[in-house]
Amino acid sequence: MAATSAGRVLTLCRQFQNAFRISTTLSAQQSTVTLTKGRSYPHRLPSTLLSSSWSCNLDLAVQCRPLHTTISRRGLEEFFDIPENWGEATVKSGAPWTAKQLRTKSNEDLHKLWYVLLKEKNMLLTIEQESKRQGQQMPSPERLKKIDRSIRRLDTVVKERENALRLLQTGQERARPGDWRKDVFGRIYWYRFREHALPWYMNRRYKRKRFYTPAFVAPHLRLRLEKYLRAKTRKQKKESENQAVLKEKFPQMQAKSQ
Amino acid sequence: MASRLIYPLYQMGNPQLRIFRPPFFLTLVRPGKEQPPDVVQFRIPMVMTKFDVRNYVEKIYNVPVGAVRTRIQYGTNKKRNHLNQKVKRPDYKVAYVQLAQQQTFEFPDIFPKKDVKSAEGSVEEMQEKFMEDEEQRQKPDPRRGGVTEWFGL
Repeated sequence: MAATSAGRVLTLCRQFQNAFRISTTLSAQQSTVTLTKGRSYPHRLPSTLLSSSWSCNLDLAVQCRPLHTTISRRGLEEFFDIPENWGEATVKSGAPWTAKQLRTKSNEDLHKLWYVLLKEKNMLLTIEQESKRQGQQMPSPERLKKIDRSIRRLDTVVKERENALRLLQTGQERARPGDWRKDVFGRIYWYRFREHALPWYMNRRYKRKRFYTPAFVAPHLRLRLEKYLRAKTRKQKKESENQAVLKEKFPQMQAKSQ
Repeated sequence: MASRLIYPLYQMGNPQLRIFRPPFFLTLVRPGKEQPPDVVQFRIPMVMTKFDVRNYVEKIYNVPVGAVRTRIQYGTNKKRNHLNQKVKRPDYKVAYVQLAQQQTFEFPDIFPKKDVKSAEGSVEEMQEKFMEDEEQRQKPDPRRGGVTEWFGL
């Protein structure tokens, strides 16, 4: 969590590079409210919803040394939008992060981006609640959906990486151990283990759960099996009847391969 | 770590649990009842504790926190929809965070009234002009000095 300050410095560096190189970049996707207005004080990090700025400037970042600026200490002001956007009907925002873009980022970058997205979502939730309180419309509510999607995709990418590492290092397919077990109704399901302080034979609540099917459930199982078989036969019959009708209409038709 | 977390079992002597990428989101709300100037009111997820809130605000927002008090607000199940089914409003946890170092916080007005000037030649400008003309036409005759038409002459 101490990385957030470093993260802000990093993103601020990138923004400075953005400001200098604004002519060369695509204006449509990258111009946000902050960049177009060209304000002086440390502004909202627009890179929450941009990605091409990072990828564009990565090669150029090598050439110029990152500029160290003061860390923005705005504290509780970060729960609100920049004052210029207060009272506006719409606020411009970019596209959400896609999983493909996120996969190109390093782990440190993803970690920092998580906190950037988290703070942005906090800000949006604050504005939403205040708008409900005041009876006003929230400016650009689609930002919430974009942030949600970005966060989910980030999570997916991190999970993928963790999965890959675990498979390579230990060969375990799942992070959380589990087992195939039968429940009281005779159904087999994947039971995921939990950590307990006692062994299972001393755990009263666990013993009440019953991972076996009692004998009196057998008639119910029989009936369920019959129902399933009936449904299956019905479906097959219907399919074959359909095929017969079509064959009559179109004699040259090939039979559908299963 | 993300949603559907399951935390490892804690027993005496275990190291402090740390969560990377916390999936918890705070909402700053305007207090319904008058609060002291150094108190900030948040809506937090049910699973967060006072210690979690303190660490969250201090580490992520760099705001010094003095004291945190929490309570759970019950959301009513009394309202009914058009099918006469009971509709539950979700419960939520409220945290009152008292700032340290004699800092104060005033909830700002996020929806100030702004004078919106419509663009030239646009539909909105024509509509506004039309409305202004209508209002001008509806006004009574100023030569009558405020006296209504009911009084003849």
